[in-house]
Amino acid sequence: MTFLQPWVLFALPLAALPVIIHLIHLYRRRQVKWAAMIFLRAAQQMSKGLSRLRQILILTLRVLAVAAIIMVVGRPLAGGWLGLTGGAPDTVLVLLDRSASMEQKDIATGVSKRMAGLRNLAKAIDDTTAGHSHVVLIDSALDKPLALDKADSLLDVPQSEGTDTAADIPALLQAALDYITTNKTGRTDVWILSDLQASDWAATSGRWPALRSGFALLHGVRFHLLCYPEPAIGDLGVRVENVQRRESADSAELTMDVHITRRVKEGETPAAVDVPVQFVVNGTTTSEKVTVNGGEAVLQGYTIPIDKSTRRGWGRVELPADACPENNVFYFVFDDPPVLRSVIVSDDQAEAGPLNAALSAAADPERKYLSTTLGVAHAAEIPWPETALVVWQAPLPKPDDPLARNLADHVAAGRDIIFLPPESPDNVSMFGLEWGDWVTAPETKPAQVQWWRNDTGLLANTRDGAALPVGTLEISRYCTISGDGTPLARMEGNANVLMKANGDETAGGAYFMGLLPDPGSSSLARDGVVMFALLQRALEEGAQTLGKARQGFASANALGTDPSLWHRADPGAEAIIPTELPLHAGVVTSGDQMIALNRPPGEDVPRTVSTGDLNELFGGLDFRVVTGSLEDTRSLTNEVWRTFLICMAAAILGEALLCLPPRRFITPVRGEPSHAAPAPWEAVK
Amino acid sequence: MAENKRYFLEPAVLGRLLALPLHARQAMLGSVSGKHRSPVRGSSLEFAQYRKYVPGDDTRRLDWRTWGRSDRFYIKQFEADTNLRLCLLMDTSGSMDFGPDGTTRFDYARKLAGALGYFAAEQGDAVGLWSMADKPVEIPAKRGPGHLGAVLDKLADLKPLGGTTLVKALHEAAERIRQRALVVIFSDFFVPPEELKSAFQHLRFRKHDVAAFHLLDQRELDFDFDRPARFLDMEGGDAIQADPSLIARNYREAVRKYMVELDDAVRTTGVDYQRVKLHESYEAALVRFLLARIQNHPGR
Repeated sequence: MTFLQPWVLFALPLAALPVIIHLIHLYRRRQVKWAAMIFLRAAQQMSKGLSRLRQILILTLRVLAVAAIIMVVGRPLAGGWLGLTGGAPDTVLVLLDRSASMEQKDIATGVSKRMAGLRNLAKAIDDTTAGHSHVVLIDSALDKPLALDKADSLLDVPQSEGTDTAADIPALLQAALDYITTNKTGRTDVWILSDLQASDWAATSGRWPALRSGFALLHGVRFHLLCYPEPAIGDLGVRVENVQRRESADSAELTMDVHITRRVKEGETPAAVDVPVQFVVNGTTTSEKVTVNGGEAVLQGYTIPIDKSTRRGWGRVELPADACPENNVFYFVFDDPPVLRSVIVSDDQAEAGPLNAALSAAADPERKYLSTTLGVAHAAEIPWPETALVVWQAPLPKPDDPLARNLADHVAAGRDIIFLPPESPDNVSMFGLEWGDWVTAPETKPAQVQWWRNDTGLLANTRDGAALPVGTLEISRYCTISGDGTPLARMEGNANVLMKANGDETAGGAYFMGLLPDPGSSSLARDGVVMFALLQRALEEGAQTLGKARQGFASANALGTDPSLWHRADPGAEAIIPTELPLHAGVVTSGDQMIALNRPPGEDVPRTVSTGDLNELFGGLDFRVVTGSLEDTRSLTNEVWRTFLICMAAAILGEALLCLPPRRFITPVRGEPSHAAPAPWEAVK
Repeated sequence: MAENKRYFLEPAVLGRLLALPLHARQAMLGSVSGKHRSPVRGSSLEFAQYRKYVPGDDTRRLDWRTWGRSDRFYIKQFEADTNLRLCLLMDTSGSMDFGPDGTTRFDYARKLAGALGYFAAEQGDAVGLWSMADKPVEIPAKRGPGHLGAVLDKLADLKPLGGTTLVKALHEAAERIRQRALVVIFSDFFVPPEELKSAFQHLRFRKHDVAAFHLLDQRELDFDFDRPARFLDMEGGDAIQADPSLIARNYREAVRKYMVELDDAVRTTGVDYQRVKLHESYEAALVRFLLARIQNHPGR
């Protein structure tokens, strides 16, 4: 417990006053000459235990009453549940989740989760540390520590403003760990403000054990997690995919897939609602009423006519305002589609041939496809900027190999890589994954894929819901994959044969597939469908960031190393400082380059980590979870003088009750008979 | 000086009460003729009984009428009248110095004892004085105005002081008062009732007519204090710190229990018990005492 006026506590010894007065009174009380000592002694003997107990209780209550008064004057703060006892820490680290989902607002007050949390934190830190601690802010968008002169600055600095980015909480904690280790921050309170969105917390990430170990080695570090997990029921969100310009002989149009989602209570089927959706293309607005039945509505291939001369441009899809303004708009850009270029790196023509055939085939007749095969020795010749997909069927480059850096940059730029196993796998890893051993199936009984992820990813079901025939593949041999990644397909015995490396969701995909298409290894090439779908999807995914008009996700690196080269395409858009530009949704341009930045997909998934998950993530660490609510305007630290006042009143009341003289007999006036209850001696007589 | 010392004798009260006799509740063995019944047969006018004549009897006491009717000799016996020995036992312990404003329990006892002594002497009875204290005073019962003066002077000189030796003194008095007497005790009886009962039994065993004036102040019964105080024992014992609000209930319970036990003690021992509160007039207490004795008097 802390006090706003702690100096008053020096007066606490005054609580002993009742005892002192009692002692003085004891020795200075009046003296009465008394004859009937026989009764007095008997009475004392009878009430010895009770009387003493009562006297002790009375004194205790008096002491409590005085102490409570002093406490009230000291203006106590309730914050014990935050572990605020023990004085101010040397450093207070605020880890702020600036993800788009934190902008969920209370419709009545317009206060977002982020702002409510920051206000609470600022006040709590100010109240409990009284400016004696160093306050450092690390936000999820930049992951850079920012020292603040006071807790109230949390509300003012640009690094605490809302963004449309995702949050990487493990990375945030890693930044905190680095800061604590580097700066020797002493006794440190780490406050995490988050909405516990599962995609941000990445509870299954392999980084958590390392973080736990790292923090466990530090002494005096406490975690306070202030979370606002409450979902915005009924909130609508919009997402746009596959924006393409199509042209016919006399007209042109934009086609797109529009997904409108509605957050509903689990197990509840809400009534259908009509949602007015606005489409803005190059400043021209059209509107469409969409009926959302249940939790989702999809406008598949929605077309917007455009002028035939308009070959490139940008636009947005908007929903009416609600609790989450960040997901009510989705930006898109369009241009002549880029060439879907892929490069196969392999020295084995038997493998490269089928791959080349699948990647060269035009899945979309209106687009151009170009697939090139390069030997491992010529891998450096890959035209990285124009390549959407690299299929790497060769030993993994060692970390100090420039090719490794090129591959990493390729993925960071939003493109895709599919690694296929070499004949002789080594223990080199990339993107946290590495090749295991080759497993050969009996000749008479080829192995089959036992499980694959069909809801999303490269092996997802087709648009009409049909599953890819992954289970019918005949596999003669496969190479296992180990490391920290997301499994997409498994063989018998849980051996992974297709995994996606974990990483920034705004980056491209790095896939490890333990199957080869040659006839001696599998029926991938012979059956064709699975391989074709898989490669075309990876190609499409990697091509998202190709061309002069690209879709991207808001993140610190979305606009490269120099965001000042970019500016908003919409002249009417709110002005924003260049360093914040990549963190917000919108369309930005630089020269003939145009990027539509939007919130990452994970921000639209309402799932949150549970308390059990948190206990596991912070297992062994000193941490407390405080669940806030947008409707709850109470401060984290409350002045609790009323409680002490009530205690004081109770103590005084108790003391008064104990001091109450026992019900006495009405004694008669001398010489007159009593008309009241007879005194005991009268009764005897 | 004598008049000054005997301030406790109020002539007006004595004059009003002189008409009430002081009777013993049982036969007395006096040395001279008096107003009290004697266990031996005497020559008073009050017929007692007939008994058969035996050789040696005074033939003047033969009832000739009975002889005429029955042809047998009977002696007619009459009650003997004798005087009374009044022994005034004064408790002079320190607790007797307690009392209402301006007076003390001992003053009250002195008035009662002085008046009773005076009444006894007036009707020709012997009066003696015993004080029950560390330094006992013993004036054997004798008749005569001069002796009464000595008793009253001694009574005036007595001062309540020191611890109580009431029970021990009563036992001693029982032993030392050899002949039947009316023993009147003036005390607050602040001793355990069972000890008191033993002393009463001893006195009764010695054939004494025992009367006890239990003198109590109303404050001792009510214990009506409002503030904690340090209670000093008037008999020299340890002082007690007490908060009346905390122990008053138990105090009254102790009083009640004491009264029950004392009541039992006096009832079983046949003591003429007079509970007197100091705020009532001693005249009223005396009247009550004397009238009760008239009613209980066996008659002539």
